[in-house]
Amino acid sequence: MVKYVIKRVLLMLLTFFVIISGCFILIRLLPNIPAQQFGKDMSLVLQRRVRQGLVDANGNAIPLIQQYWNFITRTLLTGEWGVSESLYIGQDCMQVFLSKLPATILLNVYAMVFAVPLGLLLGIYAALKKNKWQDHVISTGVMIFVSVPSYVYAFLVQYFLCFKLKLFPLVMNSGTNYFSASMFHSMLPAVISLAFGSIAGFARFTRAELTEVLTSEYLLLARTKGLTKAQTTRRHALRNAMVVILPMIIAEFIGIIGGSLIIENIFVVPGVGPLYVNSITARDYNFFMLLSAFYTIIGLASGILLDLSYGFIDPRIRIGSKANGKY
Amino acid sequence: MKKLTVLLLVLAVAFSAFAQGGSEATKQTTTQSPAKTETTAPAAPATYTFNQALSVFPTNWNTHTYETNTETEIGDYIQDGFYTFDYNEDETGYKVVPAIAVGEPKDVTAEYVGKYGITEGSVNQAYVITIRQDLKWDDGTPINAYDFVESQKRLLNPVAQNYRADNLYSGNMVVYNAKEYLYQGKTVELDNGANAGYTMADLHKGADGQYYSAKEEPVYIGLDFALAWTNNNTLNDYVGAYGSDYFDTTNWEALMAKADDKGLIPLTDENYALFVPVTTNNPNWGETEDDVPNYFVYAATYAPLDWSEVGYQALSDYEILICLTKPLKGFYLLYSLTSTNLVKIDLYDACESIVDGVYTNTYCTSAETTPSYGPYKLTSFQADKQFVLERNDNYYLFNDRPDLYQTTSIVTDYVPEASTRLELFLQGKLDGYGLTIDDMKTYSLSDYCYYTPGDSVFFMAFNPDPEKLATMQAAAGAGINKTILTLLEFRQAMSFALNRADFCLATSPTNEPGFGLYSDLIICDPENGTPYRSTNQAKNVLVNFWGLKDDIGDGKLYEDVDEAIESITGYNLTKAKQLYDVAYDMAIAQGLMKETDVVEIKIGTPNGTSKFYNNGYEYLVNCYTEAVKGTKFEGKLRFTRDDTLGNGFADALKNCQVDMLFGVGWTGSTLDPYNLMEAYTSSNYQYNPCWDTTKENITINIHGVDYTASVRDWNEIMMGEARTITPAKGEGIEYSCGDADNDPETRLDILAALEMAVLMTYEEIPIMGDASASLKGMQIKYYTENYIFGMGRGGIKYYTYNYTDAEWDAYCASQNYVLKYN
Repeated sequence: MVKYVIKRVLLMLLTFFVIISGCFILIRLLPNIPAQQFGKDMSLVLQRRVRQGLVDANGNAIPLIQQYWNFITRTLLTGEWGVSESLYIGQDCMQVFLSKLPATILLNVYAMVFAVPLGLLLGIYAALKKNKWQDHVISTGVMIFVSVPSYVYAFLVQYFLCFKLKLFPLVMNSGTNYFSASMFHSMLPAVISLAFGSIAGFARFTRAELTEVLTSEYLLLARTKGLTKAQTTRRHALRNAMVVILPMIIAEFIGIIGGSLIIENIFVVPGVGPLYVNSITARDYNFFMLLSAFYTIIGLASGILLDLSYGFIDPRIRIGSKANGKY
Repeated sequence: MKKLTVLLLVLAVAFSAFAQGGSEATKQTTTQSPAKTETTAPAAPATYTFNQALSVFPTNWNTHTYETNTETEIGDYIQDGFYTFDYNEDETGYKVVPAIAVGEPKDVTAEYVGKYGITEGSVNQAYVITIRQDLKWDDGTPINAYDFVESQKRLLNPVAQNYRADNLYSGNMVVYNAKEYLYQGKTVELDNGANAGYTMADLHKGADGQYYSAKEEPVYIGLDFALAWTNNNTLNDYVGAYGSDYFDTTNWEALMAKADDKGLIPLTDENYALFVPVTTNNPNWGETEDDVPNYFVYAATYAPLDWSEVGYQALSDYEILICLTKPLKGFYLLYSLTSTNLVKIDLYDACESIVDGVYTNTYCTSAETTPSYGPYKLTSFQADKQFVLERNDNYYLFNDRPDLYQTTSIVTDYVPEASTRLELFLQGKLDGYGLTIDDMKTYSLSDYCYYTPGDSVFFMAFNPDPEKLATMQAAAGAGINKTILTLLEFRQAMSFALNRADFCLATSPTNEPGFGLYSDLIICDPENGTPYRSTNQAKNVLVNFWGLKDDIGDGKLYEDVDEAIESITGYNLTKAKQLYDVAYDMAIAQGLMKETDVVEIKIGTPNGTSKFYNNGYEYLVNCYTEAVKGTKFEGKLRFTRDDTLGNGFADALKNCQVDMLFGVGWTGSTLDPYNLMEAYTSSNYQYNPCWDTTKENITINIHGVDYTASVRDWNEIMMGEARTITPAKGEGIEYSCGDADNDPETRLDILAALEMAVLMTYEEIPIMGDASASLKGMQIKYYTENYIFGMGRGGIKYYTYNYTDAEWDAYCASQNYVLKYN
């Protein structure tokens, strides 16, 4: 197991390095010519290119390979991500990013807290009522919510719940007192909008898994041994279905850090959602590299965590054990 | 199962109860104003909060480094100028009045002869500005003249290379030695032809084989370096355009292979020998070896300079001396002094840092790093969310004029979605809302809808360069034609076939059709606020360009010029169809096009997401496809689109990536149309530099005599540079007609003639004038209904309120938070 983890971590670092190198080169290949401004001393405009490390103080171009070496030595090895070059000029990239991360995490955690129990409950209920009208209603709802993009619910939630019914404020409150009741209340429309898709996803997945397990022979055996339907469902069916469902929940939790560009924009959540796209359009190289590195490392680490989680959820699964017929 | 059902029900009930309970709290918290919650206290004074939302949020409002107008959303409230705009006496226009300054600037030029570059006989080059003695920062720290001087010193910090450093040397106000101080110690490449004018005899060979000037400046040959004397073209441009027709290109590739990324090669014996044949062997280029030094470039290094050599000094605690390189007076002097570049020195210095040799400064990037000396101070700032400004009690004007600035706080939220902004506005939580295309149908006739003119005219721009079009045509494949765009008649047809009013409706209904180079907002006489378009010269340009000249007069179609101008729509489909046919016949006759060819025009847009560009493209395609029906182009005109141009919009046209652009134009220079003409006549700025303005001659009547000169020379003349103008008979004369020449009518004649010359190329065709529409909230009252340049409709300084915050909340509640604006 330890050997397996070390191997995966080393592979992860290699993959990280390749991806980051690709990002570094690709972002610099994008055209980055400052728009000519009437009456402006353009050499001052070109100062941004000095900040971006594209040219030296005298305006001489720095070769890409030199820029890459500078990036490796100054950033990857020291962890100094530098200052923002165009989005938040002069401000420390990491500080800006960290200041925005809590709002995104909190929003998505609330959405998960909301989505997991509801999704599971609906999935279980639909599975238990398979092919009855309750199942059809839930399945239809699930299909709608899975098919329609989340920003559509967001606008509907904002219009009906916030504007028409006035149950919530139209946008999230300002300030950083994230755990106050009023802040939570102002976040709810975004939470609901974000949760719809997850609820539908969990419900669909749970229903499918549980339906399969409920029709398996060992469950029939359990019933013939005298267990009630509730007992067989709770003790056997759900536990087995969870082997597949729980990793999905973990994957969703990891995905939350990425934020949601559109939902955050609609409800004005000061999170990290729009940052990545903005860093590309603004050619903010330092910011882009920080975000690329962050999301790459999160994605790669989550892959390892997911693989390991199978072993914890189902002790029969042992990663790295030899295929000798034993679990 | 029952338990599950009960659990779900309980969850649902709890959620709805929370939501209902919270909604009351919402009404308190989402008013977004700390001041509003105070209004419940009976003894508290009335508060007036101005609530606004932005779709782009400021991140850096440092007066030395800010880059976009968004940043001024904070800067405008926390700063002040030496002078500022105010309403004139009858409130129909503007005047510039002292703000931080006391009285007018005092001309002391005569006292400084021999200093700061001022010579005997100079006028309007040195001024003393006296500042108020009660200036303070928001924390009570007094401000004196030395603070202003130290601020300029930091603005021109050579290490910082601040984005706004050119405030002190570009444009009208050129502070003596400001640029020299900024660039001190820096090496810049200067083209020899336009600067030192070294000959080979002036240079000596160094130990490395390269030639140097007497000042030990290394000398290069500029192969792909913009040379001022060629209108900022490079030799490589010319060689690329004309090839062996004008040059001996035998050595060219070998030379270019040696060029560095600035397009330079060191001037050595070897390179010189390779270079000389290029420009001298072909008689069509007509140059000799004596002309070769014009292609030299030398690396000059700005000498170290002490601040005492810069024309910005403090004479006492309350007197500032400003010495200028070129004369400046009247309105433009005061206008140049409407900003001060003042920073709080101790805080500014504390915010500086240099990482890996790169200077950065975090001054004015948060509430903590933002001091104020303006009417409001920044009390909170949350990035990409909200900032709050409150009255700065240390602002001097609050004592002098307590009737102004009724607004107690300004709350600005970041709301990127227009639909959300509209809903907030309708709930009474915003005091203004900028209308979008989708809103116009509902609100365009509202009593609360205000239209604001802009200073830009947007164009369709074509690339009529024959050689470049031929290259693109060849690349497009057999049967595709692009060179038709070289024909004036075809471009004219494109202009007359466009229904500009419909185009505005389709793309941006707040905009108005555009017919001239300059909008109605451009002012040619700032002292009196005279709009250029209201002058006879400008009116004549419109009637001449649109062919109405002969229809004006007694018994004719139009009684006067104004009536004729009113009638202009720019749309004449019949004429367009005739011109299409004429262009077709000409193209066939000239061999530009075969009868089987299809004309394919590639239109460039910055992106594929903007509604303006998407709708515009769709409209143009439909419009022109319909327009050519019944002409010889029917079924032979089609369009493609490149929506990936981004910032390189204009470059894409110049580099032949696309054949046509639309919605392009210049903004700024509202008060200086003379300077703005540079954008249309200089290859530095032209969307299509293939129109060589140095070779295109026009004739202008100057005091009864017709004189001819190139478009470029007339432009220089209008800017005060002496150029030779030639009468029909006799010798040419040196002539200039800048601001200082005190002949405003002739200057206007030249401007109008240049506008006409640009329009007549039909390479940049005006299609719409920039304007916007917005809804005003019921809580506030504008000072003037009409939009006045410099004053808007009063701004925060003059806005008054129909309701206090408490009354407004009560009113909105009584309307159930749905206000009716249509």
